[in-house]
Amino acid sequence: MRVSGLVLVFLALGHLCITHILNNVEVINYAFVAERWANPRTGVLWRLWDLTMINLAVLHGFNGLRQILYEWIVRPGARKLVGTLIWSACIGLIGIGSYAILNFRKDEDYLRRFREANPPAVTEPSLVDTTIPAPPALATIPSLVP
Amino acid sequence: MSTTVRAPKAYRPGLFTRLADGLRSSYGIGQWSWLIHRVTGLGILLFLVVHIIDTFFVVAYPGLYDHTVSLYGGRVPWILDAQGNPVYFAPLRWAFRLSELALIACVLFHSLNGVRVALVDLTPRGALFQKQMFGWVLGLFIVIMLIVCYFVLVPLFHPPVFWNFPTEAVGPPPSAP
Amino acid sequence: MAETTRHLTVRIKRFDPETDSAPHWEEYQVEAEPWDRVLDVIQKVKWTIDDGLALRRSCAHGVCGSDAMRINGRNQLACKVLVKNLPDNTIRVEPILGLPVIKDLVVDMKPFFDHYKSVMPFLVNDEPPPTTERLQSIAARARFDDTTKCILCACCTTACPPFWGDRKYVGPAAIVNAHRFIFDSRDRAAAERLEILNDAEGVWRCRTVFNCTEVCPREIKVTQAISEVKRALLTGDVGEIDASAETAAAAS
Repeated sequence: MRVSGLVLVFLALGHLCITHILNNVEVINYAFVAERWANPRTGVLWRLWDLTMINLAVLHGFNGLRQILYEWIVRPGARKLVGTLIWSACIGLIGIGSYAILNFRKDEDYLRRFREANPPAVTEPSLVDTTIPAPPALATIPSLVP
Repeated sequence: MSTTVRAPKAYRPGLFTRLADGLRSSYGIGQWSWLIHRVTGLGILLFLVVHIIDTFFVVAYPGLYDHTVSLYGGRVPWILDAQGNPVYFAPLRWAFRLSELALIACVLFHSLNGVRVALVDLTPRGALFQKQMFGWVLGLFIVIMLIVCYFVLVPLFHPPVFWNFPTEAVGPPPSAP
Repeated sequence: MAETTRHLTVRIKRFDPETDSAPHWEEYQVEAEPWDRVLDVIQKVKWTIDDGLALRRSCAHGVCGSDAMRINGRNQLACKVLVKNLPDNTIRVEPILGLPVIKDLVVDMKPFFDHYKSVMPFLVNDEPPPTTERLQSIAARARFDDTTKCILCACCTTACPPFWGDRKYVGPAAIVNAHRFIFDSRDRAAAERLEILNDAEGVWRCRTVFNCTEVCPREIKVTQAISEVKRALLTGDVGEIDASAETAAAAS
């Protein structure tokens, strides 16, 4: 807890600083995330940051919750149940979080339609660097839900 | 004839009585910092769960992700206007800005106090200076929160940043204005 | 205000196991002199108003540690609180929290002493003794001086939020007494004690709430002692006397 906490101080506060202070949260959208994670130069670093953060944060948070519950739930059977529930939730969240970060592919079709709806000069998010040509899409996931 | 005398049963309050009784105590800032640390931790955990799930939409449904995060800008994703964009509702924007501020406050306090707890446990004389360290935690918290408040609240007094949502129609792209 | 007779309203949490299913508050009116202690006030209640009131006390001078109770929401020895130092004329007196209440202010101390015994609070040294005494340097003695002061009143353990929830937590008092022997240069069982305290219900249940340090009537720096045990567990290092303790001892 102490070690993950100390690492998280930098990762989480840095993350909050980027998303809430350096950027207005209102500009954060798919294009913003796509630019960060699929950037040919810095994408790996952003993904590594987010992957470390998500794993440590989930472990730290759920371990904290488990400690709190163990303090008030003392019967061994109940503790075992609580522990099992918490570790399952932990694994589930780390699973979908890591899946999202590792399997992310830029949805070029969606982005094209997004750019068409938003001419660049007016509302292009600040971090989207249009001078870098986008790499060819590896897989195109159709947008299922509006 | 003999009578059996049983020792009367001792009383042990239930879980909630003990918690309530305990929180009635008047101890120093140590208990307050522990309580706030715990409550902020639980709050952050709740947000973390929601945030991981909404970020999962980035991979699964980009459109849904955009609609979800448009909440932050005060737009109601389940009510669409004629162009297919979520409608804007100013009180929602305020509510999200203020919750955002609360989230940052929670993370900041939890981080600073977490450093204090780590120093107490890991440095030879940390426990002797816990009150002074809590003073620094509060001081730093207030200073940083004032700066954060400026950055987070100032956009509220500017018009919201709108982006248009791509239409689902596959036909020719709409002409640029 | 402090130097005149005070008219006190004493609210005591009463519990009679033969008639009650849960404790209830009773109110008593008592005249008290400023030099009286809260223990005197409670005894006045017992001797003049309701002789059914049960409480523990022994030496009444803050040494035996038997009259620990929650006075105004804070664990204290009733014999160490003076009436003239009370903030107002109403006192709330309750048994200490987290241990089963036998009657009124008397709690069952068995769980507390079981935890105390579990850490082996006695000197373990099978080496043949020298012809004189087992000598110790001043610095080596100062290393654990603070934790020798414990009188086992249970103020700290019953002020500890993790202990309120989890009776199996060994509690600060047991850790303080383990610390007293772990850091004693004459003792040889530090590793065993550390092993006992390394349990999930051991020293790691401490959440650094500092209530123990706050309430200790002997002013032992309990949380400091606990964190020293934690660090000894992390580093496996108990023998060495750190320079800061040595200079602190030299200064005092």
